[in-house]
Amino acid sequence: MRLSGWIGASLLLGLLVFALLGDRMGSHRFDEQRIEHSLQGPSTEYWLGTDALGRDQWARVAAGAKISLLIAVGSTFFSLLIGLGLGGISGYLGGRTDRWLMRFVDLVYSLPDVLVIILLIEVLHAGLGDVPDLYRRQLALVLALGGVGWVSIARLVRGLVLQAREEAWVEAAHALGMRNRRLLLRHIFPNISGPILVTFTFRIPAAILTESIVSFIGLGIQPPFASWGVLASDGFAAMRSYPHLVLYPSLAISITLLAFHLLGDALRDLLDPRVRGIGTRV
Amino acid sequence: MREVRVAFVLILLSCGPKGLSGGPGELRINLGTEPPTLDWTLATDNVSVTVIEQLMRGLMVLDADLQPQPALAERWEVSKDGRIYTFHLRQDVRWSDGVPLHADQFVFSWCRLLAPATAAEYAYFLFPILGAQAFNAGEITDPNQLGIRALGAHVLRIELEAPLVYFPSLTTFMVTFPGRADLIERYGDAWTEPGHLQTLGPFVLDEWEHEYRLVLRANDHYYLDRPPLDRIVGYMVAEATTALILFEQGVLDIVRLPPLEIRRYLDHPMYRSKPQLRGYYYGFNTKESPFDDVRVRRAFAHAIDRSEFPQVLKGGEVPSSSWIPPGMPHHNAAIGTHFDPDKARALLAEAGIDPETLPPVRAVYNSEQRHKLVAENVQAQWRRNLGIEIELENREWKVFLRELNVSPPALYRLGWGADFPDPDNFMNLFTSHSANNHTGWANARFDQLVQDAARESDPVRRQVLYDGAQRILLEEEVPIIPFFVRAINLLVAERVKNFELNAMDIFFLDRVVAE
Repeated sequence: MRLSGWIGASLLLGLLVFALLGDRMGSHRFDEQRIEHSLQGPSTEYWLGTDALGRDQWARVAAGAKISLLIAVGSTFFSLLIGLGLGGISGYLGGRTDRWLMRFVDLVYSLPDVLVIILLIEVLHAGLGDVPDLYRRQLALVLALGGVGWVSIARLVRGLVLQAREEAWVEAAHALGMRNRRLLLRHIFPNISGPILVTFTFRIPAAILTESIVSFIGLGIQPPFASWGVLASDGFAAMRSYPHLVLYPSLAISITLLAFHLLGDALRDLLDPRVRGIGTRV
Repeated sequence: MREVRVAFVLILLSCGPKGLSGGPGELRINLGTEPPTLDWTLATDNVSVTVIEQLMRGLMVLDADLQPQPALAERWEVSKDGRIYTFHLRQDVRWSDGVPLHADQFVFSWCRLLAPATAAEYAYFLFPILGAQAFNAGEITDPNQLGIRALGAHVLRIELEAPLVYFPSLTTFMVTFPGRADLIERYGDAWTEPGHLQTLGPFVLDEWEHEYRLVLRANDHYYLDRPPLDRIVGYMVAEATTALILFEQGVLDIVRLPPLEIRRYLDHPMYRSKPQLRGYYYGFNTKESPFDDVRVRRAFAHAIDRSEFPQVLKGGEVPSSSWIPPGMPHHNAAIGTHFDPDKARALLAEAGIDPETLPPVRAVYNSEQRHKLVAENVQAQWRRNLGIEIELENREWKVFLRELNVSPPALYRLGWGADFPDPDNFMNLFTSHSANNHTGWANARFDQLVQDAARESDPVRRQVLYDGAQRILLEEEVPIIPFFVRAINLLVAERVKNFELNAMDIFFLDRVVAE
């Protein structure tokens, strides 16, 4: 893998460690309020400063990492799963199946995302009655965000499969008697993985932002827990006086985005059979 | 929405401070949003009030100390039994189109407010008038049976159901302003548009570019001296931070400070702050467990340390255990529950509640930064002092109001701002017949005390009545916990003179000078 890929992977690993251990590294819990210490800039006691309630910003960003990464990665995987399945079948089989599946995709595509997310969350909330509040909200967000995100992935996958299907090596594999499922999974998907990985890395930050919108209208994560999106939008309101409140959560989102991009880019080169071994190693 | 707003800011910025800098005689303020209506019979929100206060006058007007002073009425008489008020109108008042003021315009406006077809939220304001409540409920349909009568062009006779000591104060509020039947008939709902709207206050409506700005100009027909300002431009910038940036660039003359920006301006010469007649409280749903037990409610009240609120919000908030706010007549600082965590835990134990096994209590607030800060703070306080977990939820304002009316949550946050400076406006809120009482709590003794106080003209006896009522509300029964009174925090540009803050957040702009 390329150097940039290793950088991306190590950034992601760092984020993972930060999410798992970060709130235990500082001296304060993420929801511990010390009002007499409110709105301080970064210091040796509070590495990233404090918010209006005197809570440690480091611990809050770390606790937010757990929530945001889980929701973003979880919902994107979920939508990838549906998108690959439906798009792959649609593109590979073609004909009537393709037409009906794509009309269904058009239908879902025409619905406004936020509206569908709100409806899904309401339904899921009712359906997940006994789960503790935080997990119930996270699970509902993963399913709801994933439940609307798959549409564009399905379209992309279908187009790529349609294209790949006509290539000579698919014909060759057919001629050798390979079954549809094996052909799709072992040959076509790896060949089209590049654009899909790129889309995947793009969807992660989009999911983080959508989560913050949903939280704002009261359907997302509720206090004292806060995702990065919520931390950033709360901090935005005080941007002129206390820039550290918006800076660090935004920085965390940016680093996540960068890490996924670097890794995705390198993985594409690594997985694409057309470039594999032709000296793209730099 | 965000794109629209950004585009709007860019337009403002690209015009530059030069293009929009106010000349002498022009004041530029931020209304925050589009006023939902300029129809003073139907308006309920403070943006509409801010504009209407500049356009109109009523029988009385509040002065800078919030004392009612004669305005359209030059004097009035009260009958011996306190039930009949006779207002004598000024003879020199003309609307902006030259039409003279007539007592019939009051009769029309007040009947319109009370008519069931109007469905005005503030109709209850005039319920003290004879027959008003029955008329509003549709039980009587003849407006002549109401105690509202014009005796000639300049005399208005009002008959009340029972004596009401603060009745003149009521007539300072916009819903009691006179109205023009001819204009409403001719233009229908569009009668408040520029060109149609005629008013008789210091300013008239000049332009209204919806969702962008609203321009008022001095009224040449105003019955007092023409105001020093020629124009008032009210922009509609929703984002408080954006408005602050516009102020710093000299595009706005007066701006409200967002809560977290206040500390940076505390020592600034342009910074002004004033506590308001504006209570902030948490209410209980007293119909449902666990708050159907008064001991649990009192435990929650004793577990709140109010001194933390001003430190969290930093906007000059004044902690208050009394529901009648400081600055209001008959306020009593000694009344209410005080912070006592030991007593709180004892009360909880007495009620047989084990915090370990109690399911999380749901508390709902409307989506706004300061409400979220307070909610997170009390969530932590109740966990620290009682060991009880609170599950917070936020709602958009209209959804929140509907939820309060349909199925109130166990705990909810609300506030109340004075419509007129009399304690009745606050105490009436929690009577059994108030539509704003979402606690499900009703108490006949409390109702009686509030009613007696409204009829009591002797201040000493009135104080005793209100103290008694407040003790029931805040110490014995505790359907609500008052937290603090809010303050307004403004930046006022140096070119603006004679701008006085008051405890009701009324903008008195008729004497303001912009250099």
